[in-house]
Amino acid sequence: MERRDFLKAAAAAGVGLAIPDKLNTLLHAATTAVTQRIDLAICHGASPAAITRAAVDALGGMRHFISKGDVVVVKPNIGWDRTPEQAANTNPLVVATLVLMCYEAGAKKVKVFDRSCDDARRCYVQSGIPLAAEAAGAEVSFINDRKFKEVAIGGERIKSWLLYTELLEADKIINVPIAKTHSLAKLTMSLKNWMGVMGGPRGRIHQGIDEALVDLALVIKPALTVLDAVRILTANGPTGGSLNDVKKLDTVIAGVDQIAIDSYGATLFGMTGNDLGFVRAGARRGIGTMDLSKLSIKKIEA
Amino acid sequence: MKHARRVTQGVFLVVFFFLFLQTESKGTDELGYPVKLFIDFDPLIFLSTILSSHALAAALYLSIILIVLTMLLGRVFCGWVCPLGTLNNIIGSMKRWPPREKARNWFRVKYYILFFILASSLFTMQLVGIMDPLSLVVRSFSLSIYPAFNYSVNAALDAAYKLNVKGITTVADYVYEISKKTVLAFQQPYFTQGVFVGLLFIGILALNLVERRFWCRYLCPLGALLGLLSRYPLLKRTASEGCNACGACEYSCQGNAKPGDPGTWMPTECLYCWNCDDMCPRDGVSFRFSIKKAPAKLDLGRRKVLASALAGAAAVPLFRATPVFKSGYPDPGLIRPPGALEEREFLAKCVKCGECMKVCTTNGLQPTLFEAGAEGIWSPMLVPRIGYCEYKCTLCGQVCPTGAIQKLAFEDKAKVKIGTAMVDRSRCLPFAHAIPCIVCEEMCPLPKKAIWFEETRAMNRDGKPVEVKQPHVDLELCTGCGICETKCPLVGKPGIYITSIGETRSKENQLLLGSRESSPSL
Repeated sequence: MERRDFLKAAAAAGVGLAIPDKLNTLLHAATTAVTQRIDLAICHGASPAAITRAAVDALGGMRHFISKGDVVVVKPNIGWDRTPEQAANTNPLVVATLVLMCYEAGAKKVKVFDRSCDDARRCYVQSGIPLAAEAAGAEVSFINDRKFKEVAIGGERIKSWLLYTELLEADKIINVPIAKTHSLAKLTMSLKNWMGVMGGPRGRIHQGIDEALVDLALVIKPALTVLDAVRILTANGPTGGSLNDVKKLDTVIAGVDQIAIDSYGATLFGMTGNDLGFVRAGARRGIGTMDLSKLSIKKIEA
Repeated sequence: MKHARRVTQGVFLVVFFFLFLQTESKGTDELGYPVKLFIDFDPLIFLSTILSSHALAAALYLSIILIVLTMLLGRVFCGWVCPLGTLNNIIGSMKRWPPREKARNWFRVKYYILFFILASSLFTMQLVGIMDPLSLVVRSFSLSIYPAFNYSVNAALDAAYKLNVKGITTVADYVYEISKKTVLAFQQPYFTQGVFVGLLFIGILALNLVERRFWCRYLCPLGALLGLLSRYPLLKRTASEGCNACGACEYSCQGNAKPGDPGTWMPTECLYCWNCDDMCPRDGVSFRFSIKKAPAKLDLGRRKVLASALAGAAAVPLFRATPVFKSGYPDPGLIRPPGALEEREFLAKCVKCGECMKVCTTNGLQPTLFEAGAEGIWSPMLVPRIGYCEYKCTLCGQVCPTGAIQKLAFEDKAKVKIGTAMVDRSRCLPFAHAIPCIVCEEMCPLPKKAIWFEETRAMNRDGKPVEVKQPHVDLELCTGCGICETKCPLVGKPGIYITSIGETRSKENQLLLGSRESSPSL
């Protein structure tokens, strides 16, 4: 079912590509000109591929974020040996659509990886992400332990840490987390997704998770973040496993400000950004905006 | 014929290594290759498993093919197929032998070893895996040679990376990608007894420098069983009248089957290598099908046969009179893989081949030393600090050749407890040190997590309250998979750990009222 959706989406994108390049640029210029500045695009609809595309387009299209020739890292959550229906990993169609859009915007190469928590082979296969992302042209790889590099962070809790060089060397980064519950952070969304590029004993980060997550955001700055809320995990996260804990929202939230996205994401679970320590810390430290009333939010049906 | 044999040996060795390399998860639920195929064909494991457990693994019926083949053709398996035989062959040919090297005449020893093993099997003690050549070769490669190979390749690549010269790094990257896709393990395997198992294996190979095919001629119990089956083979070596008993073939004989004189050739020792035929200066040797009686009888000596069998029987109480077999005294660290039979039944079936340890996705399955008694040496046990039991993985049961670990569907595996986690409050961060940590609970793979929190305020040194979540284990839900212990951030001794208590397979290793009835087992 999902695979078919994806193939449909891929076909549609192929049609898009067939439009002469100049015309496409013109259209793009036209759309950006008429749209006002939008901080968050919330898109709802039955097709994960369509809502992802519509959300990014609402922000000005992928060309707004990706330049010709860029090497892009699209970083989903592939942390768990779970299927897409179980909502522990990012929806594969959302990931693949972003990969496709990067190439449409002229990216040279799109890489996809995550440092899994369960056995990486099982996580990759069960998540369905490599299958979909590779079909869209991405280079999907397992984490290679040699590729971690000590990076000075100078944060409140993390002074320096091993981070993945492929991420550090990328021209652009796109964050694609899924929204889930978490017993310590309460929710795991954009900021917490960056634990997936940490090497070494990252479990220690929980000793001061709120500040540590904001510390990571000091050095990892995605050009775009798309929060997958096609399905969200409302209990027993971040692993889940029972479909009873999964709620289908058919929604994605796209934006640049990760604090704003996570603050909005909290509302999906009946909370506010102010309930989340890392969102409060991020706002306090000037990483982003927690107060949704100060953001321009556009809701779209696709 | 020599070339035909060598090619055949090479093909079987390549197939063996190919299946060995496929004994690794690709992330799917099944492997897609019959990785235990060689062991399935092993009549010694077939026979000793019937004796020790009075039960059968269906796949082992394949070994009947080898039994029939050997009765017709003699020990062709040893000469043409056996991977250990081929490796022995290769090592033996590395030495330049003096022209008329005299062979030892110890061929009877392997038969005594066989009788020892079968007699102890009859009395329920399964030692066959220690010396069965297929079990031995799979185990040695799994636990020792292959990890060492990976280590050396990785060390070389690490060194290349550390140079940090652009061209070299690119080449190293390329080599890594290629070898990762072909011969390297997904992650570097480590095994607690790699050195021990490896030295034994290297020792066996080195014996070929003392005498060619030393193992096959004098020690191999499978060779002995096949020897017994080939006392009256249809395919026989015959020497024509041209043979003047010059004895030249004696020195090229791989099995030390005494081909030098037409009257002394021993079919039980012949490996059908065809060397005598190839090298006979008078072209007087041929292998033909005939129903005439074989020339030389196998005389093992009734007393010695009886003595070795009695020794095998006597070994059973000797090995068993240790606390491991005392009722109500289970080793808390002996965590068996999911699907493992009750300990007695398990030991009667496990042949220590190491397939399960090779395939274990997390490297958590490690060989025992004496945790399960001397007879249980090199059987699998989960060491959660090294690796946990992956929740949805069922591979160990799929590759077990004898059913010591049963093949379980995921739905069934999910119901099996291999042990139970307990928190060490004197180390656990939220309990002992008022430091937040939730890793064990976060990792717990059960749909309803077996770890729950007591939210409480702990006091730090300055008298300030710190909100912490202290973990508790739901003893009924916990399956003992061990991911909490593996991932516990307390390096070294963990703050949460697994013991075998509560394991489904045991009646007496239980804790809770209402769990399986606690009747002492015999």
